Amino acid sequence: MVTTVLEPSRHPLAKYVHRLEQGLPMLDNNDQNVMEVVGILKSYGIVLDAYSNNLNYVAESQFLNLFPFFKYFNGEVNAGKLGQFWWHKRINYEYAEYCMRSMFWHGGGGLDAYVDSPEFIAVAKQAIAARWKNNPLMLSLNKLFPDFLLEQTRQMAYYTGLGQFWRVMSDMFLALSDRYDAGEIKSTSDVTQHILAALVADAAKPITYKVELGGKTYHLIPESAGITFLMDTGVPYVEAIFFRGTPFPGTVSYNAQAAQIPPEKSTFTYGALYADPLPIGGSGIPPTLLMQDMRHYLPDYLQKYYDKTGRSEQDIRVKICQTFQKSMFCVTSAALMGLVPNPLDTDDFEAQQANRTFFESWMDRLIPSQITNVNQA
Amino acid sequence: MLSALIWLPLIGALIIAVIPPAENSQTPRNIALVSSFCVFGWGLWIAINYDVAIAGLQFAEHIPWVEWLGLNYDIAIDGLSLPLMVLNGLLTLVAIWISSKEIHRPRFYFALFLLLQASVNGAFLAQDVLLFFLFYEIEIIPLYFLIAIWGGKRRGYAAIKFLLYTAVSGILLLASFLGLTFLSGANTFAYTALQNTSLPMASQLLLLAGIVVGFGIKIPFLPFHTWLPDAHVEASTPVSVILAGVLLKLGTYGLLRFGLGLFPEAWSVVAPWLAIWAAISALYGASCAIAQTDMKKVVAYSSIAHMAFILLAAAAATPISLAAAEIQMISHGLISGLLFLLVGIVYKKTGSRDVNYLRGLLNPERGLPITGALMILGVMASAGLPGMAGFVAEFLIFRGSFIAYPIPTLLCLVGTGLTAVYFLLMINKVFFGRLTPELAAMDPVNWGDQFPAVVLVILLFIFGLQPQWMIRWSEADTAALITPTAQVELSLNSLQ
Amino acid sequence: MSEFFLHNLWLVPVYGIIGAFLTLPWSVGLIRRTGPRPAAYINLFMTFIGFVHGTWAFTNLWHSPPQQLSLEWLHVADLQLSLVIEISPVNLGAMELVTAICLLAQVFALGYMEKDWSIARFYGLMGLFEAALSGLAISDSLLLSYGLLEILTFSTYLLVGFWYAQPLVVTAARDAFLTKRVGDILLLMGIVTLSSYGTGLTFSELEAWAANPPLTPWECSLLGLALIAGPVGKCAQFPLNLWLDEAMEGPNPAGIIRNTVVVSAGAFVLLKMEPVYTITPVTSDALIIIGTITAVGASLVALAQIDIKRALSHSTSAYMGLVFIAVGLDQIDIALLLLLTHAIAKAVLFMSIGGIILNTHGQNITEMGGLWSRMPATTTAFIVGSAGLVCLFPFGTFWTMRRWVNGFWETPIWLLVLLVGVNFFTSINLTRLFRLVFLGKPQQKTRRSPEVIWLMAFPMVTGTILTLLVPLLLQRWQLLLTWSPGNDFLARTLIVTLAMPMLITAGALGVVVGLLIPLSRSMSRPTQFYLRFIQDLLAYDFYIDRAYNFTVVLMVSQLSKVMAWIDRYVVDGFVNLTGFATLFGGSALKYNVSGQSQFYILTIVIGIGLALGWFMFTGQWTTIFEFWSKQLA
Repeated sequence: MVTTVLEPSRHPLAKYVHRLEQGLPMLDNNDQNVMEVVGILKSYGIVLDAYSNNLNYVAESQFLNLFPFFKYFNGEVNAGKLGQFWWHKRINYEYAEYCMRSMFWHGGGGLDAYVDSPEFIAVAKQAIAARWKNNPLMLSLNKLFPDFLLEQTRQMAYYTGLGQFWRVMSDMFLALSDRYDAGEIKSTSDVTQHILAALVADAAKPITYKVELGGKTYHLIPESAGITFLMDTGVPYVEAIFFRGTPFPGTVSYNAQAAQIPPEKSTFTYGALYADPLPIGGSGIPPTLLMQDMRHYLPDYLQKYYDKTGRSEQDIRVKICQTFQKSMFCVTSAALMGLVPNPLDTDDFEAQQANRTFFESWMDRLIPSQITNVNQA
Repeated sequence: MLSALIWLPLIGALIIAVIPPAENSQTPRNIALVSSFCVFGWGLWIAINYDVAIAGLQFAEHIPWVEWLGLNYDIAIDGLSLPLMVLNGLLTLVAIWISSKEIHRPRFYFALFLLLQASVNGAFLAQDVLLFFLFYEIEIIPLYFLIAIWGGKRRGYAAIKFLLYTAVSGILLLASFLGLTFLSGANTFAYTALQNTSLPMASQLLLLAGIVVGFGIKIPFLPFHTWLPDAHVEASTPVSVILAGVLLKLGTYGLLRFGLGLFPEAWSVVAPWLAIWAAISALYGASCAIAQTDMKKVVAYSSIAHMAFILLAAAAATPISLAAAEIQMISHGLISGLLFLLVGIVYKKTGSRDVNYLRGLLNPERGLPITGALMILGVMASAGLPGMAGFVAEFLIFRGSFIAYPIPTLLCLVGTGLTAVYFLLMINKVFFGRLTPELAAMDPVNWGDQFPAVVLVILLFIFGLQPQWMIRWSEADTAALITPTAQVELSLNSLQ
Repeated sequence: MSEFFLHNLWLVPVYGIIGAFLTLPWSVGLIRRTGPRPAAYINLFMTFIGFVHGTWAFTNLWHSPPQQLSLEWLHVADLQLSLVIEISPVNLGAMELVTAICLLAQVFALGYMEKDWSIARFYGLMGLFEAALSGLAISDSLLLSYGLLEILTFSTYLLVGFWYAQPLVVTAARDAFLTKRVGDILLLMGIVTLSSYGTGLTFSELEAWAANPPLTPWECSLLGLALIAGPVGKCAQFPLNLWLDEAMEGPNPAGIIRNTVVVSAGAFVLLKMEPVYTITPVTSDALIIIGTITAVGASLVALAQIDIKRALSHSTSAYMGLVFIAVGLDQIDIALLLLLTHAIAKAVLFMSIGGIILNTHGQNITEMGGLWSRMPATTTAFIVGSAGLVCLFPFGTFWTMRRWVNGFWETPIWLLVLLVGVNFFTSINLTRLFRLVFLGKPQQKTRRSPEVIWLMAFPMVTGTILTLLVPLLLQRWQLLLTWSPGNDFLARTLIVTLAMPMLITAGALGVVVGLLIPLSRSMSRPTQFYLRFIQDLLAYDFYIDRAYNFTVVLMVSQLSKVMAWIDRYVVDGFVNLTGFATLFGGSALKYNVSGQSQFYILTIVIGIGLALGWFMFTGQWTTIFEFWSKQLA
């Protein structure tokens, strides 16, 4: 029997192909990186917790509310909260909605298909009728513009979809931080393995959505729809947010004649893995909101590190973004390892080759990404 | 009282010179700060006590000195010199404030700065032409050293060039002053005495030519200006601030006081040519500025263009234009001081002034956003944005000069239009766009460095919104400059 | 109480300034831990106060005569300059329009810019914008108006430059400023001239002066042309029209204001200066020619745009062209009506497309489609805005047009043809846009497009309702208009009778043509050479920018390079070097530093001293000067 050995990859990013094949993350392994990644994921976990709670709250309690003035209050409206809201001393839930809308817009996965299915439309129409049953104006408006409230309902489904997805991610990141504090996380590979394990564990977790209107429950996404965590929200999320993203008005011209934005959504490269961290904090750069939210929840060790590098507090959002990008490459590594067609430790040549093709095709997309910069620092 | 403006900084300089040198000591800087603060405060106090209602010299001091020569220590202040004296006080304070704390040979440096301030104040206050000349010459020496020792790579070249030009300027002035005294038979150099002499037109023209060219080198006008861009490029930021903000004003001040003031009849003869000269100089400065790639050179050529407006106003010699010339001196002093200060910050942080290299400095986290914002306001003031001092000065210059010389005035207006062109080309290249990775590691600017710029911007706004606060000092005296020369033709068709 | 509001009307612009000023703690980064939204709320509040103040004054004004408030700003010698505002129904109406649209745009921006961390700066600039605009509405002095126009130019620069890191913004902001600045400088020349010829600079003084100007016709013509240059730049008229296209790089909420009240502000100043234009027919002719060229050219250019914002912004230029024509024909009422109806309709249109841009992450109309059923507010706003813009019964522009052609004014036949043409092309354009954006099958970028959030939908709906109410407003404000019928009414009955049917037919025909022309959603282009040539010609604005690049821009840049070269090698290298060579001999002129620089200084100072002494003791000076004075005398 002839044992065929897989030759080294000739891909421009061959280094990362090989790392992934060995079950290692794309991010270089050193203590500095581990500290930064775990620290940032801790604060990200806290922020995601808030985002997720809010998205779920909006989906459940603000169903088709056309003037959701208090949608960021999570049901707790009082003078103090209002004061904080007006002083902008709060989490920037706008960013969560921005991610939700990007995900909704880019589509893909089972959730995207399900909100177009007759089952969903049927339940949605019942829910809409129930929601506006005493409002002939809205009902006639909905007749005039038949997809108006239906599209809003789809968006509500995405609210809850992303909310439930982030619920899992938040818990996973906070657990990672706890394990790091307990001394169990020593390398970037440990980080990736932790994430991979959690993703696999929750892969089949069902995503469901029901609203209660007038005492009746409407199962917009029943468990029977088979919408699952990993394939129907996780993968589309990674695709929409990490890879594609949306063009930032602060760095890309929307001028149609200048044709800076490609006509195909699938060729967008504005996602978290590609974005240049330097413009963070400037005008027209939405991720600034996330960096701003995370700055409040940095663990002490990370805060100390930022304090003594660069301009300490003044450019902290750029530094957070640089660190965040590192962590996102770890998460992406874990996701790719989770999605790889064959086990990584397979001895079968064909399987290895399939894995190679799989990784190389993803690396093709990562050529213009920040991966080299992330590993330079 | 006035003498304090000259002697206070000299005493300060002396103290700095005699204190024992210490490693890493901030003492010289602190002494210089205190001294210049006192001088500025004293200047303000004099301004408050100055009676604007009466035109003419006030706070006069007279000490006989070299009597056989006719040279006396005659100093006084009037509406023409008062604002410039205060400007000198303010900008010297600013310059010392922004001087680096780690500067090498600090004792020499700060002593020179105070010496510079003393001599410039002396020149503004002197009422004896020879005394003026003395101060005018003394001022060259500290400035020469300030450029030659603390300058850039080609500082020696620039310093010598500056020295030669200014020396020629001095020789011409001296020749004219002496000529005036001797030809008129007055055995004194007192300004007021010389004012009342009468000479044949030919001698007047000759003497005036010496004065105009002499001060023209200082101001500077085409074609005597080439020392200025070099000097600015090589000089350190505080020196540039003083050079553009105050020292050039010595030239225009002299032009008004000793050119127009002493030779009114000859002035009215050459005025049409001066107006044309002003227009050419303004357009020339502006078009040279467009082609520059060094931020400092852009500002330097812009100085040439804006100083030419003063020549236009002086040539027109209407009550409005002369008051406007004085305002333009103040506003240009503030604006050019501000711009050089900000360019200095950019240079200090990035190590470059190249408009083709710098990019995206408005970046709020890693760039110089506040500096950029102040710079935008500064160039807008320079381009004559209403609401800031530059507009008042330029509008009044054009309004005052149009009657006398419509075509040169309109050409100068085109020059104002070009100001926006070269400054926006610069601003949009340097501050707009995406910050490049090479520039992403610069140090932040602390508020102390930017504080003087903020003050200057606020002043520009105050004077722009309340122009009377600028005009009130000098209106009576600038009007007095031309009362003896009622024959200056104010016809609408003087060029036709 | 109402007196108080009237006499303190100057406060309305000041509210905007205060709002802008209060954003500083956030925009300069003094407050970093919490977000910048309070700055937005403060500005909204100030705008609201300004709106309420203006409304109160407006409703109480009907019974009092126009009055002027004056503040002496500066006096030098015989020159007295005052800042004057006039409280009159027209001015207050204009100010109401400004504050109302600013208020809507600012609420809209709260939604549109919600993901932007720099909204403090944005709202500060909007406050400045609003202050300058509302000041312009009530200004009664040319000087004040000029100042405010310049501030408008400046804040346009900053607002277009808001996304300063975006590559096209860098040039767009610069070009917007410089283009407007060309007009402003010419206007300043005109003001300097006017003031020099002895008139005060308030509009009433100008009117009195213009009755009998001490100028030759030639000078009058130049003066008139200089004075219209400012508005030409502001209103994006040919040949200073391109900045508006480029300014579309800026954020949409600023675009709402820019395409409505900012361009109108320029026209408003234009019609305030109207008495000066009557001095000479050259100015009115120039206005009409410029207006006609722009109206026709911009209407055609708009047809070929694939960018949703630009398709509408060129139509703004076209409508301002009509305003120019109205002013040129001395028909101030029509100009005012056009400004009003255009502004409100355009505001709604721009709000509508703002929602679309946000939802589709693009501005390319060939990538859109099928949005109507999901976006009721946006769709309605677009339809109503379009209806308000074209001559369609019973919406705003219909009544304006009717007033123009129904015999109260002289309506030359060419004007009617022009109006028919503009109406026809605008209808085609808007129909074309509507088809591409809202009808048809959803494309990938419009596949998911939920209606915008309430912060954007609310001002959109309000604007829609406002557009529908315009006819009622017009009815109410008719009192402000003159009602004397044209004297040759009877001689032109044919035109008068046919005018409205023709206009309406043209609009309807435009809709039909717009519905029937084949629209390709892909980027494919006509294969026929001529068609392609025409499409490109229009799409690239008749290549005016390239024409500029090869003329003015090239000239200035080459000239400046030549000058800089001359400066360096001729003036510095040759003239000065020769001069010094004769003075000092060869050693010093290389500007060498041989480590001996201190030596030079000593040489010079000592040299001067010696010369001085020698001359004085020997009395040479007198001899020399006597000689020369004899020679020259």
